[in-house]
Amino acid sequence: MRTTYASKKVWVAALAVALGAANTGCMELDEGAEGEIELATHVGDWRDEVIYQLLVDRFADADEGNNFRVDTSAPGKWHGGDWLGVEQKLDYLQGLGVTTLWISPVVKNVDTDAGYDGYHGYWQQDLTAVNPHFGDLPALRSMVRAAHDRGMKVILDIVTNHMGQLFYYDINLNGEPDDRVAGNGITSGVTHLNEYDPDFDPRGVQSFTSLGESGPAPIIFNYDPASNHVPPLPEVLRKPEAYNRKGRTYNFDDPDQLLHGDFPGGLKDVNTTRCDVKQAMVDSFTRWVELTDLDGFRIDTVKHVEREFWRYFAQKVRQRLHAQGKDRFFMFGEAFDGRDILVGQYTKNDLPPEGELARENECVSDGVGLTGDQLDGVFYFPQYFQAIRDVFQLAQSTDRIEQLWSQRATNYGTTPNELGTTLPPNKSLVNFLDNHDVPRFLFSGAGTPSLHNALLFLCTAEGIPCIYYGTEQELAGGNDPANREDLWGTGFDTGTSTYGWIQRISRMRKAYKALRAGDVAVTWASARAGDEPDAGAFAFERAGGDAGDAYALVVFNTNKNHDSSPAFDGAPMLVNAAPGTVLVNALAGEQKFTVSADGRLSITLPPESGAVLVPESQFEGGI
Amino acid sequence: MRPAGILVSGRARGAALASRLAALLAPAAVVAQPVEPPPAQPTDPLAPPAEPPPPVDPPLAPAAEPRPAEPPAAPKPPPAESPKPPAAPVTGAPPVASVAAPRPTGFAFGSYGRMIAATDGRGGPGRDSDIVAHGSRLDEANYVELELRRDDYWEKTRASTRLVATLAFANPVFHYDGDFDVSLAVRNLYLEERDLGAKGLSAWAGSRMVRGDDIYLLDWWPLDNLNTVGAGVRYDTDWARWGRPEAPPAGATPGQAPPQPEARGNRSSIALHMGLAQPDSAYFHQTVQRPAPLNQFGAVDVEVLDRQKWIGSAKIEHILPVGREAGVKVVGYMEAHRLPAGQREEDTGVFESLPAESGYVIGAQLGAFTGQRDTHVNAFVRYATGLAAYGDLVTPTQLSIDATSSGASEMVVAVGGNWEFGPVGVMLGAYLRSFRNAGEALDYGDVDEGIIVARPHLFFGEYGGIAIEGSYQAQQRGVVRTAPESEGEDGAGEGPSHFTARLYRVGFVPFLSPAGRGDYSRPHLRLIWAITARDDAAKALYPEDDVFGLRGVEHFLGVGAEWWFNSSSYGGG
Repeated sequence: MRTTYASKKVWVAALAVALGAANTGCMELDEGAEGEIELATHVGDWRDEVIYQLLVDRFADADEGNNFRVDTSAPGKWHGGDWLGVEQKLDYLQGLGVTTLWISPVVKNVDTDAGYDGYHGYWQQDLTAVNPHFGDLPALRSMVRAAHDRGMKVILDIVTNHMGQLFYYDINLNGEPDDRVAGNGITSGVTHLNEYDPDFDPRGVQSFTSLGESGPAPIIFNYDPASNHVPPLPEVLRKPEAYNRKGRTYNFDDPDQLLHGDFPGGLKDVNTTRCDVKQAMVDSFTRWVELTDLDGFRIDTVKHVEREFWRYFAQKVRQRLHAQGKDRFFMFGEAFDGRDILVGQYTKNDLPPEGELARENECVSDGVGLTGDQLDGVFYFPQYFQAIRDVFQLAQSTDRIEQLWSQRATNYGTTPNELGTTLPPNKSLVNFLDNHDVPRFLFSGAGTPSLHNALLFLCTAEGIPCIYYGTEQELAGGNDPANREDLWGTGFDTGTSTYGWIQRISRMRKAYKALRAGDVAVTWASARAGDEPDAGAFAFERAGGDAGDAYALVVFNTNKNHDSSPAFDGAPMLVNAAPGTVLVNALAGEQKFTVSADGRLSITLPPESGAVLVPESQFEGGI
Repeated sequence: MRPAGILVSGRARGAALASRLAALLAPAAVVAQPVEPPPAQPTDPLAPPAEPPPPVDPPLAPAAEPRPAEPPAAPKPPPAESPKPPAAPVTGAPPVASVAAPRPTGFAFGSYGRMIAATDGRGGPGRDSDIVAHGSRLDEANYVELELRRDDYWEKTRASTRLVATLAFANPVFHYDGDFDVSLAVRNLYLEERDLGAKGLSAWAGSRMVRGDDIYLLDWWPLDNLNTVGAGVRYDTDWARWGRPEAPPAGATPGQAPPQPEARGNRSSIALHMGLAQPDSAYFHQTVQRPAPLNQFGAVDVEVLDRQKWIGSAKIEHILPVGREAGVKVVGYMEAHRLPAGQREEDTGVFESLPAESGYVIGAQLGAFTGQRDTHVNAFVRYATGLAAYGDLVTPTQLSIDATSSGASEMVVAVGGNWEFGPVGVMLGAYLRSFRNAGEALDYGDVDEGIIVARPHLFFGEYGGIAIEGSYQAQQRGVVRTAPESEGEDGAGEGPSHFTARLYRVGFVPFLSPAGRGDYSRPHLRLIWAITARDDAAKALYPEDDVFGLRGVEHFLGVGAEWWFNSSSYGGG
């Protein structure tokens, strides 16, 4: 039978309808979900930023689809937060005055281990894949893009020191992980031997049997896909040599253990002196920036990694991003330590001996030799201990703050890193009251006035303020994991006094450039912490530097019991403002103070309070 | 050190085999040269074994069918080689040929079954005490098949079809253990077409037991017994076509089968079958866990090894009539087994290659029948090698150095028959079997064994009778027992010995037979009292603390029933 013209038309029409139906059935991803993206510099001066640190798993849960293995009844389990949740709460954060998000690690982790989950992100297994608990790459991209659309920035938490518990030491060479006890306790001590987490041995963990030692213990990677105990990625991390294999650190004061020991909990220490490992770390983590246009790295456990690694890593990341149009990428490290010299060394621009530098340069494959540049800043742990804990929580003498700050130019780098933030590290330390590794500020028993006073200090001190999520909701959890509460349990209440206070002081910081960019000069610090009239008094000026003629005088009374004044024996503090200058409290415009003819300023503050005084000519109302 | 002349090389067989097997089957008392040294010492039946018992290996020989579970007693240790198929009631009679008339249209139900309540006389349950792969069936456990069948005759094509579904239930049953559960298998589920396009041509597809003649007393199909999912074709021809019309008679109504013609004469058939089987073991498939693809949560199962046996068989059969009712039956048989290569994960990310392998079977059967009262005799000879030596549903063990079953072999010679005259009938069964696994050295899995069993029946009119069964079975495995610590009978310390395990049995089976007399007449209501005596070597086959390893005599006392009717698997329907 011949096909007529009419029937052909019917067939063509039917085909068109079918194709149309097929086309409308195609899945369309959101714009920007796939393909490369163009990198850009989103930051002018990092001191203008207010960072908000959040644990993605605990901040907001907006996608039920990724709630795998969720158990919100246990603090050590997955709770369901995700990147979509963060994106949907940007209004809440922006309203608080936050300008930069520091999000917990995004890479795929060991899912669960010994009854605890990898919800925090520090048990990384695959540096090339996103953690599906938090969403997928489009979700991460979308969150970063949404932040940028609001002028907000995003800092990513990364770990280069260790991987998750991905292998065990086969100490008894039986090819399976053991947890056993050796010794009878009478003629020999009882030793608990755990092949996942054996004690540090400077020779490397040794294998042994009842007949004695038998050489370095081989490591065996676990394979349990259900808990994501599978060999790591990138591929280089599957080499035994990529790890130091010396066992768990038990003495952090031993430099060998500090640098080469596994992190407690069986987190396997990576051999960060190897060229292939250095390159892999740069490639892996820079790739996340290239995929999402992130603005910075917060780097975990920097004191457990050799400084030669930081030179390589920081410089190569900057160079690679600069080549793609991203500058002022901020990298600050976490050295959980109160020793200022130790913490500051990761920001110093000091070259190693010539021979050492030549060895380090053997890892350089792009022809651009290494300099002394390291990180742009650090998490200011010494200040946490000596100012936040000792002074604001425990009401000890304020002179320890002055002593600490006086060492800043000595202990920290004072020259900007090439292709870095343009700021010297000593001016871009990240100030914080608490974080996910220490108890929340309120856990100590300090009340809300003390918290508000410390927050005021945070937002006026030199550096970049960082607020731990939930502070605005006055959460008071203790040590990990109690300090990692679900923020959604608060209802994201914007009516709390602390939410309002942070909102105000962040506005104030934004309004007064002196608070962001001015140099610091301590005008009053007291060694007294008792009933003396200046016990608890502390004052400093923010002026000069990059602040032009802007000026601010910040005064605190950290004493919990009585009013205090920065004065002693009837002599008020000397200030650098010109005599006759009228200073106005930026947070209470009706309070005005005049600098005396001899350059002194008299002010008395109630317990646990502060004041930010600015010249009347610079005063901005409405905050 | 092993006794000279007792153990031969795993590869050396041939002429020595027949004489060795004959010696094996001979009662110990009449063996001129002892097959094994005399026992080192009298064994106290209650004393523990002098040495650790041998481990129980996986099945060694053709495991054609799932073995009906035994009563809840300790497991039978030694042979475990061949899951016992259910009874095959009709043996030696000419097969129902395709050239016969179409089957009546409609549904039909058939069944084979045996149920028994038994004790060991000591308060425990009755227990199968055979040591050979195919032992006496007196002490078998419960097993039932229920067959539902649909036959259709299609007038337009003059073809007929048959759909067969057979459910098999194995011990235990709910009223015994109280578990509201069942051990169930689908043994047949296939569709067969007959006379489609050519008279005598049939084809089938599905899951099917493909088997020929059995030895009833041993519950065994010595020549062919395949269980696969596959398909087959068969062509039957009746050379003489005595009195058989080519088509249904005129006037046959649609859907109604024509009358059954008499089919007597030279008849031949050829049957081909190809099927697949994948025994549930790591030799055939391996599932491992892998992270979910595309970075999804959790783990997914991945089949890194998934290979199945291809089994083909060909059978040619000819029946030569002798007189009006008797005849001679000749069967030639072949099987080919093929297993493709694969890989298995030994450790994470470490794969072991599993090479392809194959095997074949050749066999023959010569039978004769009188056509009167099921009197017949069948002799079988069968040789299998390589993969085929292990059978269709058995996983090869003790592999050769190339990790295949190459070199494994099984040689079987078997006889079965039945003779009835007046109020007397005698059933007979015997076989010799030599199995060598693929491993080069002799080991526990290498077996020479045999049995001879006879069951005379004495019928009391048409209502019942009594059967008395006597059997002797023996087995020799490729292991040497180390000497007991005490001295032997001659006062000298006894060296390591290769041993032959022997077992004698006599059974008394009074029965009621409502269908009339006949060795194959069923149903039966019956009592069974079987007395089994095993020697020390037979006891040594059982593990420590197994009462079968301690006791020399077993009783099996039971009351039960056996039936078969209208089952296509056993020549009915």
